[in-house]
Amino acid sequence: MSILHSDEQRLIGESARRVCSQMYSGQDLKALLESPGRYDDGFWRACREMGWPALAIPAEYGGLGLGLLEFIIVAEEAGRAVAGAPFLLTSYAAAEAILLAGDEALKSELLPALASGDKIGTLAFAEGTDPVPKDLTATLADGRISGVKQAVVGGAHADIAVVLASRDGVPALGLVDLHDPTVTRDILHTYDNSRGFAHIAFDGTPARVLTALDAADLAWSVLNRVAIGLAAEQAGGADACMELARDYAKTRHAFGQPIGKFQAVKHKIAEMYVANQIAKANCLEAAIAITEGSTRADGLAAAARVSAIKAYDFASREGIQVFGGIGATWASDMHLHLRRARSCAAMLGPRFVWEDRVVAALESGW
Amino acid sequence: MSSDLFHELEQYRERARIWLKQHAPRFAGEARYNLTDASDLELGRRWMALKHAHGYSGISLPKHFGGAGLSQLHQAVFAQEEMSFNLPTLYFAISLGQPIPILTLYAPEEVSRRFVPPALRGEHIWAQLFSEPSAGSDLGGLRTKAVRDGDNWILSGQKLWTSWAQYADYAVILARHDASVPKHKGLTYFWLDMRAPGVTVRPVRLADGTHDVNEVFLDGVCIPDSQRLGGIGDGFAVAMHTMVIERYAAGADETGYGPSLQQFMALAHNARLAGDPSLADGRVRESIAEAYRLQQALVTMRSKAFLALVRGEEPGAEGSIHKLVSARARQKLSELALDLEGPVGYCGVHAKPKENWVASWLAAPTARIAGGTDEILLNIIAEKILGLPQDYRPDKGLRFDQIS
Repeated sequence: MSILHSDEQRLIGESARRVCSQMYSGQDLKALLESPGRYDDGFWRACREMGWPALAIPAEYGGLGLGLLEFIIVAEEAGRAVAGAPFLLTSYAAAEAILLAGDEALKSELLPALASGDKIGTLAFAEGTDPVPKDLTATLADGRISGVKQAVVGGAHADIAVVLASRDGVPALGLVDLHDPTVTRDILHTYDNSRGFAHIAFDGTPARVLTALDAADLAWSVLNRVAIGLAAEQAGGADACMELARDYAKTRHAFGQPIGKFQAVKHKIAEMYVANQIAKANCLEAAIAITEGSTRADGLAAAARVSAIKAYDFASREGIQVFGGIGATWASDMHLHLRRARSCAAMLGPRFVWEDRVVAALESGW
Repeated sequence: MSSDLFHELEQYRERARIWLKQHAPRFAGEARYNLTDASDLELGRRWMALKHAHGYSGISLPKHFGGAGLSQLHQAVFAQEEMSFNLPTLYFAISLGQPIPILTLYAPEEVSRRFVPPALRGEHIWAQLFSEPSAGSDLGGLRTKAVRDGDNWILSGQKLWTSWAQYADYAVILARHDASVPKHKGLTYFWLDMRAPGVTVRPVRLADGTHDVNEVFLDGVCIPDSQRLGGIGDGFAVAMHTMVIERYAAGADETGYGPSLQQFMALAHNARLAGDPSLADGRVRESIAEAYRLQQALVTMRSKAFLALVRGEEPGAEGSIHKLVSARARQKLSELALDLEGPVGYCGVHAKPKENWVASWLAAPTARIAGGTDEILLNIIAEKILGLPQDYRPDKGLRFDQIS
């Protein structure tokens, strides 16, 4: 498998960049910040028209039969445009869980709807800051799930969710219909509202059990993939920050010269570029490892996530610094990135969890 | 086309691996323990001679100069494979990386025929007399003079940081022939015999106690005009040409030429913090994750750059990123290693940086300066890749003799 893009992959990337940049409107995205429970439906419609939800779903289930490598190309462009809807990622996550753990009937029933975008999926694994909790409070008994999952990304809008719950003390995965009357959603007013965070309460919600086996490892396998997809989004956002800062530093004058001539400024921007390149390299290598079924996938996926968190944090934070006062105003688009960088960093468990996973992977062999 | 080349390179890599496995151990690792510098160099010369006999020295140089007539990519493939052995090749790295390729490009053919083969065999070592006390990052500001005297040039001045000058038989040199023009335009490139009258070499001892670098004094050294490489005033361009050659021919080590992360893991496993293995400590784990993600990214970026070159694409800035990131990471990891080693870590200053944390840590400041400081590398990335404007340079366009 080559780490250079094929012609097909290049075309996917070019069209994704074109569409995402056409759809981008800082003003509209800022309006969404003040409207909990809303997302950029134009962006999601464009995703569906482009066939992106179908990218990584096998052709036999109505998908395009590509994979994570193609998914991260599109995710990077969505991240660059601070996408106003999280469903590419959340539906990808649900589809991967179903592909990895579901039976044939479930795949045939749900994957075509996820591929077309008719249904939106998401995951509800985490409790607190723990992406795969050891002591789950959500329970699965007699085919019904009860408990609360907090701040589920896309939870405000998703149709189905794959839920991690304790079944006789063992983690299990259950698939639920979020429109079931036993489901209550509490849509959250967050600093990044278009991500559609919601607390979801299940009260004896009927669930189809994906696997009867201990699902902890399976959950991590799914999260590895989601972490890489999210890392690509973060890297795209970080690149956008770097480019905005770079372009501003070339034209903004102070002390009789463009501020980009000052090393304090230009080195900051060069450091952003370096951090972004590192994040993208790790993301690509991790996606290859996952695709090839390499034993290094755990460590590389975690490395990609850590690198992407750091790159986006750095670029969004220091990008505002390059802009000076104007960068810290509502009128600037930079705070869209600052907010997104943080919501991405907090999703899927904080950096520390993934740093531990890097080391755990190394401890169990290179 | 490019997939044919890729296939050929992989076959070449496989042959090189087999050859190295067969021959390298006698010259590497344990074979070098407790050797004096002189014996280590001697071992290195024998290794170079063996490589040359098998076509692995001067891989990308033309056959009529004793090279193997292959591409820079073949050279890079061999360098990558050779690097996994701890061989005494450093003495020849500058010699074969810069002066010798430049000789083949700019010297009259009979000169290259005479001098290139012995250098490829390790019999001769060539130094590069570039940096000076007041011209390092700002190489164009060098002050060593070249004064025309009939058919000869008289060289006077002082060079600094010259690697392996103490062993060098010959050298290339950048000198100022005209101070009445802007700094980069008044430089000319020559080669000279290090045993010529007026050349004095004095070792400089670095902070880690080693003395691989030197001061070289030139006191009225007379060389014929036939030893000029490139046109009068073209010196800076010729010098930059070598830099580009070197950046892609050399292998690169993601540890920044320090100990491996596996070695750090083993250390962290054995070292204790408050009675527990330090490997269980969150701060230690964070540092390991940091080193791993950086090293892995560099490996990926290097492979990607290599494949892009195979495809015939222009090289990017990977070289600058690689050095910047790997040297900084090595310094931090080495500091932490010494913290964790505790009392044991105070010792061991005489080992090689690749094998020992003390040596790695003491030499790390040099790694962040030599061959392009962190700051210069950031400038390269900012200006060459991102198109940010060059810093304010008050000396720009001024005659050199009017720069204070």
